[in-house]
Amino acid sequence: MNGESALTRGATDRDVKERLVGVLLFACAALTIFVTASILFTLAYDTVTFFGFDETSVVGFLTELEWEPRNGFYGVWPLVSSTLIVTVVSALVAIPIGTAAAVYLSEYASPKMRSVIKPALEILAGIPTVVYGYLALVYLTPWLRSIGLPLGSFNLLSASIMVGILIVPMVSSLSEDAMSAVPDSLRQAGYGLGATKYEVSTRIVIPAAVSGVFSSYILALSRAIGETMIVVMAGGLQTNLFDPLDPFGSLAGSGRTMTAAMVNAVTSDATGGSPEYYSMFAIGLSLFAITFLMNLASNRIAARYREVYQ
Amino acid sequence: MASETPSSGTWFGSAEKVGRLRGRIFKWTCLGATVLTLALMLVFLLYVANDAFRPFSADPGWLATMGLTVVVPIALLAGYYYRRDRSAGQVAYTALGLPVLVALASGGLWLLFRHIVSPREWFVLVVSIVVAGGLVVGHSRVRHDAVTERLVVTVLVPLLVVVGIPTVLPGLGQFLYLLPVLPNALFSLILGFVLPVAAIVGWRVRAVRDADRDGAIAAGITVAGGLAGLGLGPLVGIHPTSWFVFAAPIVGALVVYVEHVVRNDKGLSGLAFPVVVVAGVFAGLAVTQLLGFAGPDAWLNMDFLTSAHDTDPSEAGIYPTLVGSVLILLVIVLSAFPVGIGAAIYLEEYATSQGRFGTVMELIQVNIANLAGVPSIVYGVLGLAIFINLIGMGRGTAVVAGFTVGLLILPIVIISTQEAIRAVPDSHRQASYAMGATKWQTVRNVVLPESLAGIFTGTILALGRAIGETAPLLMIGIPATVRIAPDSFLSRTGAMPRQIFSWSTQITTEFRYGVLAAGVVTLLVVLLTMNAAAIVLRNRSQQTQ
Repeated sequence: MNGESALTRGATDRDVKERLVGVLLFACAALTIFVTASILFTLAYDTVTFFGFDETSVVGFLTELEWEPRNGFYGVWPLVSSTLIVTVVSALVAIPIGTAAAVYLSEYASPKMRSVIKPALEILAGIPTVVYGYLALVYLTPWLRSIGLPLGSFNLLSASIMVGILIVPMVSSLSEDAMSAVPDSLRQAGYGLGATKYEVSTRIVIPAAVSGVFSSYILALSRAIGETMIVVMAGGLQTNLFDPLDPFGSLAGSGRTMTAAMVNAVTSDATGGSPEYYSMFAIGLSLFAITFLMNLASNRIAARYREVYQ
Repeated sequence: MASETPSSGTWFGSAEKVGRLRGRIFKWTCLGATVLTLALMLVFLLYVANDAFRPFSADPGWLATMGLTVVVPIALLAGYYYRRDRSAGQVAYTALGLPVLVALASGGLWLLFRHIVSPREWFVLVVSIVVAGGLVVGHSRVRHDAVTERLVVTVLVPLLVVVGIPTVLPGLGQFLYLLPVLPNALFSLILGFVLPVAAIVGWRVRAVRDADRDGAIAAGITVAGGLAGLGLGPLVGIHPTSWFVFAAPIVGALVVYVEHVVRNDKGLSGLAFPVVVVAGVFAGLAVTQLLGFAGPDAWLNMDFLTSAHDTDPSEAGIYPTLVGSVLILLVIVLSAFPVGIGAAIYLEEYATSQGRFGTVMELIQVNIANLAGVPSIVYGVLGLAIFINLIGMGRGTAVVAGFTVGLLILPIVIISTQEAIRAVPDSHRQASYAMGATKWQTVRNVVLPESLAGIFTGTILALGRAIGETAPLLMIGIPATVRIAPDSFLSRTGAMPRQIFSWSTQITTEFRYGVLAAGVVTLLVVLLTMNAAAIVLRNRSQQTQ
């Protein structure tokens, strides 16, 4: 110890500290992988338990058309169909509005207008879903009924509209990012050819940003699929298979989505060990797989897009 | 490309008049769709506010008086700022918003002091921390070169002093309890809360003004604002301890902000705004009291905020779940934030993009982006499976709820922190390295201080997301209604959004249009204040860059 100079001793000591800090920070980053792994593992583990019961089977889960845990029917299709109804209708609301907002913000809005609309949309995105669910249940459903729609007090229509409003900020902000990233030289070229602003927006900016816009749609739809509180509060818990002959009937009535079925499994009287309780893990795994694939696809599309202009 | 197609002749600008009309229609459609959504939500929120406050149940005289004393002065002042002095407008809403924000935080703290840590426990904790800090600093002065030893001391000493070794050696706190004289609640808070807050304010002012005297004055004002509660508190019916918890941080924050405005000498007249608002409210209340005008019979009133759920709607309140939500947030702040910020630092500053390790980093990055999109209910199932079924923690406790929601917002914290860190120019890092700093020293002394505003913004937004999350709470068994506030992090607790959900299943109109609206407004006020603060903070820091 005496032979070493103070400087080198300090340096090796410092190395130890540096390495320790590095390891600690790496552990933080690695935790995220651990989270994904444990989601997959716990869901898969209890899904196996679920399919181990006498009244359940993988084939029945995927092919049967009834979800009635009380009577031992565990076909996932009614839940999937309700989820799809919510997703499609909310997309019909959110995609046009979100895209229009993105075009306006990226191409037309003055800086002053932007400084008002963007924070407003951001605040919209910060409102919790339980509040959206409450708005749908207590205000939107009565309003829709008062204009003459034959809706039940729980219905998928107002739930879907609310989910649509919920995902508008997501579509608009991500699409706007994609549109703003389109190089100005492309716009200038359009103007140089005598194009109007409308033509530049619709025929140059949107096509050039189409992959970014598309990836925002996928992300928003994946959010709509996983949305829970709005559909539980406003959509009700009755299981209904989509009826192609009476599409509006399915919209006007209650419907139990996949997420709602999970909530029902854990909050209803189902006891800890029953198949109904374990069913939430099987549904959760399906939900996780669907949304994870969609997010992955969205990332891929957005990543490909980024390569084009840089 | 266009020249290859036969339609190239009609490509652009053929029918000018039609084109112009079409363009205009397109523009207005786009704007209309955006505004329609925002307007629809505004209408919804107005309905909720109307149901919660029922302003029209008030005496017309009350409304008129309040309009004259509060609304008219605000409108006049706002008009003046708009026409004469724009920067004063910015100062005006900051000077009004800052105390509101601080008051919210103080409210959370007040709940903690009331239910979790008594003022005396807090005092003992503060003393322990100060002693531990003193030991660490003292040691680093004496043995400056021994880095490893210092590291060990920095980790072990606070642990030993504050916590002690379980069953072998109690922490310093346990010894302090054995002392014959301990200050009572009042003095505990003065010593353990008002003085530290004043010290922080004074230190901050001293640092920016570079003058000891100004720092001392700032600290003095803060202490005076806190201690005023001893005399004024009983007069207005507020317990002095409550006064301390609210007044010291508010006065302190105002001192720092006023100093900032005065130093920049821009928009000074904006400081009049909060004074006018507060004076107007008090004047209005005094006049209506004098003339006997009845105020609105609002659902959201003091009783609602201070009582528990009841089957009788007029008695029902949100208090215990408010405490629960504060506990859950505290767990999140202590668990998810350090981990998230640490992960972001690693990914931005330490990770290499080359070789096999680079692939792992890329995997982690993609994984984080995907985790941000996993539905919240799946995190609830994860929390149920891991924390409750596997580890065996109690169902519906604040710790489990905090950990579960913490995992949910972890990707958001990481992504926003990464963005904040990325905004720090590389030249600053290089300068630090050139001075011989190590990586961690660079991170600690250069990168983190510069990205602090951005990190702060991101974490506030993430916290806002966390307050409103409901689905995970359902899965981990947060009870639908609670009558008493939790007394520790390990006892079963309610949460605001969970309470709102269980009220929404009640079918009586009083619950649907009254209690529920009041609960939603409470949640939204907390949340929107936080989000607005974060957005304002971000826009300011972008302006200065």
